[in-house]
Amino acid sequence: MSKLVTGDGRTHIESSLMRESLVDRRVIAKTSSEEEFAIMPDVVMVGIGGQSIFDRGKGAVRPLVEELSALRATKKHKMVLSVGGGTRVRHTMSVALDLGLPLGGVAQLVGAMEECNAVFLNALLAKHGSIVMQREHFWELPLYLESGMLPIVISTPPYHFWEPPPAEGCLPTHGSDFGLFIHAEVLGARRIIFVKDEDGLYDKDPKKHTDAKQIKHTTLAALMKNMPEELILDHALFTTWQRARHIKHVQIVNGLVPGQLTKALAGEPVGTVIVKE
Amino acid sequence: MNSPHERRKLPSRLADSALTTATDSASKSFDYTPDAMMPDVKVFKVGGQSIMDRGREAVFPILDELVAAKDDHKLLLCCGGGTRARHVYAVASDLELPTGLLAALGGYVPRQNARMLQMLLAKHGGIYIMNDDFEKLPLYFRLGCIPIMTGMPPFGYWEKPSEGGRIPENRTDAGVFLTAEALGVKRAIFIKDEAGLFEDDPKKNKAAKHIPRITASELEKSDLPDMIVERVVVTYLQRARFCTELQIINGLERGMITRALKGEDVGTIITAK
Repeated sequence: MSKLVTGDGRTHIESSLMRESLVDRRVIAKTSSEEEFAIMPDVVMVGIGGQSIFDRGKGAVRPLVEELSALRATKKHKMVLSVGGGTRVRHTMSVALDLGLPLGGVAQLVGAMEECNAVFLNALLAKHGSIVMQREHFWELPLYLESGMLPIVISTPPYHFWEPPPAEGCLPTHGSDFGLFIHAEVLGARRIIFVKDEDGLYDKDPKKHTDAKQIKHTTLAALMKNMPEELILDHALFTTWQRARHIKHVQIVNGLVPGQLTKALAGEPVGTVIVKE
Repeated sequence: MNSPHERRKLPSRLADSALTTATDSASKSFDYTPDAMMPDVKVFKVGGQSIMDRGREAVFPILDELVAAKDDHKLLLCCGGGTRARHVYAVASDLELPTGLLAALGGYVPRQNARMLQMLLAKHGGIYIMNDDFEKLPLYFRLGCIPIMTGMPPFGYWEKPSEGGRIPENRTDAGVFLTAEALGVKRAIFIKDEAGLFEDDPKKNKAAKHIPRITASELEKSDLPDMIVERVVVTYLQRARFCTELQIINGLERGMITRALKGEDVGTIITAK
């Protein structure tokens, strides 16, 4: 039993952090340990591009939906899906920045565009057991997965008006790739697969440069040393990954090539594989 | 790769942006000068361990001062956690659970504290609000209410892993700063049980010299193992567009809140530059 401690005008509950300053590095160090409990280590997060897949319409989305429903039928993977907001997010931000809305206000607005795509995806996958998972239902994830459903999460993190100011520029830095990553990390998942419209990561944007070279396999450490200027995933994902404990494997596959996602889920090194060693 | 199904774009200045980096070139084309939403709001943090855990002896005189000022100022109260939050963090750390879980759990205690203040202030217009009620603040102020909310930012399970331990880096100091920044408020006021920053711990050394003013970069350079506010706040302050000052006052000393509301530089002021 914890006991109450008084005597300095305050009432404390006895614990290893009692009376301590939680800003003190020595106190913070006491809360660290080698291991960290993995809440749902078998979950595989699959992030589907908004601009790269969804904004291409039926021709790109339908084959992917078929692949997802076939994957779900195999019951081999505990998949959790998400989808980005795409071009409407860019439009929202352009209007919001032009209007001079505060950074937190911009961050508050963008998630709604992603939710629209989540509803679209859910409509297409509903008969295969999909469900849009509201944030407040965070702990229903095991229920959905155990009953064989295909949850679709909102990946934009709920930072909203409280989006921290960026080091430079005027854009919120905690986007949907970062959000999906952090969601996977808190669950103790080991890997994430991003479905985009390119065969993975390139040294520069392959849409703008014909001589862009594909990076098939790399490590987080190597990537941090030599980060491409035009990035396919949020920069904040990589900086956060450096201090993460669970995610070991981030893969980027081409959703316009049928079967790539299935291969990636089976552990094949299609697209780009980034590992943390 | 070429696809028969082209990306369909809404024309906008960011239409071709990946939005993955802060240095995105298209975003530089904006002459971005945001407008302050409600710059005249007085954003207060009511300390958890420093005030709430002291009970009525500390809390009641503070509320008296706030109530006396409520018709002249738009007061927004944000609560800290305190000893129960420390207990939750200690239990969660012992169980080796991730930071995001600690952040979500750490959110419960400041909400309890906010509800306590709401009960005490109900007859003076105190209302408990959630993060989702943020956009209704103009209504609450127009009605003469004192909105009271958690100081914790709503990151919860989406909080980043911490460096060097499990305790979330964005806690109630960060949340209160970010609340002020979102509203476009220049100075956030933290009500604690010490008059801010001292050269030594005033709880252990009564002769410790008070520091009335310090810049965020000076604080950063001092690189002390302990700090007066959460470390992320020192970083955020230097990037702020609006909230460039934090004032830390001793709520146990009568009159300090009233003087802070008048704009007096009592306590310690931490400035962005």
